[in-house]
Amino acid sequence: MKRAWLAITMMLLLMPAWLHASPVRIGSKQFTESVLLGEMARLAARQQGVSVVHQRELGGTAILWSALQHGDIDAYPEYTGTLTHELLKNVPPDADIPILRAALKPLGVGITDSLGFDDTYAVGMREDRAKQLGIRSLSDLAAHPELRLGFSNEFMARSDGWPGLRQRYGLPQTQVRGLDHVLSYRALASGAVDAIDLYSTDAEIPYYHLRTLDDDRHYFPHYDAVYVYRLDLEGSSPAFVNVLKSLAGRISADAMRQMNAMVKLHGEKETVAAADFLGVQPDGDGANMWKRLWLRTVEHLRLVLISLMAAVLIAIPLGVWSARTKRLGHLIMALSGVLQTIPSLAMFVFMIPLFGIGTWPAIAALFLYSLLPIVRNTYAGLTSIPPDLRESAAALGLPRGVRLRRVELPMAMRSILAGIKTAAVINVGTATLGALIGAGGYGQPIVTGIRLDDTGLILEGAIPAACMALVVQGLFEGVERWLTPRGMRLEARQ
Amino acid sequence: MPFTSNASTEAFELRGVSKRYGVIPALDDVTLRFPAGSNTALIGSSGSGKSTLLRVLLGLEWPDSGEIWVDGSVLGPTHVLALRRRVGYVIQEGGLFPHLTALGNLALLPHHLGWSRDRIRQRAEELSGLTHLPPGALERYPAELSGGQRQRVALMRGLMLNPDALLLDEPLGALDPIVRHELQDELKAIFDQLGKTVIVVTHDMAEAAWFADRLVLMRHGKVVQDGRLDDLCQRPADSFVTRFVQAQRTLRGAAS
Repeated sequence: MKRAWLAITMMLLLMPAWLHASPVRIGSKQFTESVLLGEMARLAARQQGVSVVHQRELGGTAILWSALQHGDIDAYPEYTGTLTHELLKNVPPDADIPILRAALKPLGVGITDSLGFDDTYAVGMREDRAKQLGIRSLSDLAAHPELRLGFSNEFMARSDGWPGLRQRYGLPQTQVRGLDHVLSYRALASGAVDAIDLYSTDAEIPYYHLRTLDDDRHYFPHYDAVYVYRLDLEGSSPAFVNVLKSLAGRISADAMRQMNAMVKLHGEKETVAAADFLGVQPDGDGANMWKRLWLRTVEHLRLVLISLMAAVLIAIPLGVWSARTKRLGHLIMALSGVLQTIPSLAMFVFMIPLFGIGTWPAIAALFLYSLLPIVRNTYAGLTSIPPDLRESAAALGLPRGVRLRRVELPMAMRSILAGIKTAAVINVGTATLGALIGAGGYGQPIVTGIRLDDTGLILEGAIPAACMALVVQGLFEGVERWLTPRGMRLEARQ
Repeated sequence: MPFTSNASTEAFELRGVSKRYGVIPALDDVTLRFPAGSNTALIGSSGSGKSTLLRVLLGLEWPDSGEIWVDGSVLGPTHVLALRRRVGYVIQEGGLFPHLTALGNLALLPHHLGWSRDRIRQRAEELSGLTHLPPGALERYPAELSGGQRQRVALMRGLMLNPDALLLDEPLGALDPIVRHELQDELKAIFDQLGKTVIVVTHDMAEAAWFADRLVLMRHGKVVQDGRLDDLCQRPADSFVTRFVQAQRTLRGAAS
């Protein structure tokens, strides 16, 4: 028995290594522009005969950066401002690309030149209003104290947002409001405010006919788009590195805005928009909704079932052990309780250095979340056996192991199964977050749906996830009925 | 499996055994002998230590000091399993496992020891006859049995391996008076028929005297008096013995 657990643990640990023998992997963050740049690199590489897998919509900067450093992805689109402000410690905030290149080299990371556009904070006004007031640059705002400004809450709060901007340009406006970023475009279009903060490549800029004001005193840091890649690619796939380098300087802010607009405002697929720009044929996935649903169901089930089975194999012995040794039991219970309090996304991120990205870190995280309900219910089931029954088993002269197998575990079975059921249902829900680290499953359409503000797409993930939770619940109730010994379900006769 | 008889003919013996739960003494320097084949009733109020005495004999508890001798040698952790298999132990509620049928309860230990299914059933049916368990009851779960039937099954479970000794802890304590009376008769008959070493714990004087010639009265973990019913009534060791004896109400007393 012990040997079997060891073998399974080893298998779980070694599994990620097998996944490494794959083509070049490019990642992207969970916003449209990043996905577009990822697709662009993939399509351009395909054109050169390099096969590339695109891991779309991974959770965020921290996840991609960590995945790149651990070699789980080979490249991803990034912005210079993010590198200087968030990822690298010892570079000046206005570092240019050669400085960044030198700073990244010791980390084994390479960087292309700017792709041709700068996606930074900007302040925008309606074209007609700006023309009417003669405003072209941020300095021009100083002459119009009556203007009403609406800024996203983040921009209001950041030291490099509104407070610094006001100081640098000596802005006199007093009517400044915090707004949700999505709503701010509508507020601007309807004339409720005169100027808002925006990202310079937002799709909405051409759509709402906005003018981005020139940052003539160079207040906003540069967020030049680049690709970062693992330097070892230069040895293993020089052609791919050349593809990335060849894209440098080719994408103007205008072109990027158009592509963002195609996807976000006109519902075009990222692949199509990127292929259109490159002048190549898109290679659509061609899968219809049912096929996609099936694939995601398989992915989701895989996450839930593997993590749950591993948890059952580990947690039941832990529960047995806890019930046997009081002090150890408290320790185990406390530890698994602490695991439960780690926020899911943080847990997924912690797993990346150990398991890379994709299915296995998600399974590992779900496994850890499943431990507590099973350990606790095993413990509760065993300790709630009346002492005189436990003693009767001992008095018969049965060895400890036999007592556990033939008497104690069957009597605790109901409680243990309830624990497994709880873990399974929680897992079905939590597994949707696995999409953020490339695990796929029902979380994928949810992540994409949130990004594109597409409720239909969100439901395409949320409804099957809810159904699966219900099915799991029902299934376990059946199993519980089937596995609980009949004698345990009877009310005692007097 | 007969006791390998040494110099001693005692089935069980306590030598200066003490056991405390916190500050409360459950057994306080108790020395007692139980000869092979003898019937003894341990009596006393709740908390007098009589149940603990049975439990230390089976190695379910270990004394803080003193020794337990079984069959001429000191009881240690290594012989506990073998000892328990030679002793039938029956507790108040029967201690039957609710997830197993009556037969499943009986089969637990023999199955572990490698008895065949047929042999187990044959022995179970033999014992059904001895304890007057109704036919068909073997297939039922404890929750489907009456209190008296549960107690019969518990006794059968204790007798499955034909042990040398039976230890019974308030075996009839949870039964109604009629069933109890009936089972007292049957148990007595079984004890006489099998001729095993029997130690029975009860707080009922009449029941104790019915089961055994020798009564051991305990209080606060000590043996107050060890003798026949006559001795306790006519020659009480102290006033507590008298009080205990007189506290057993008779119908005649209640009527007057």
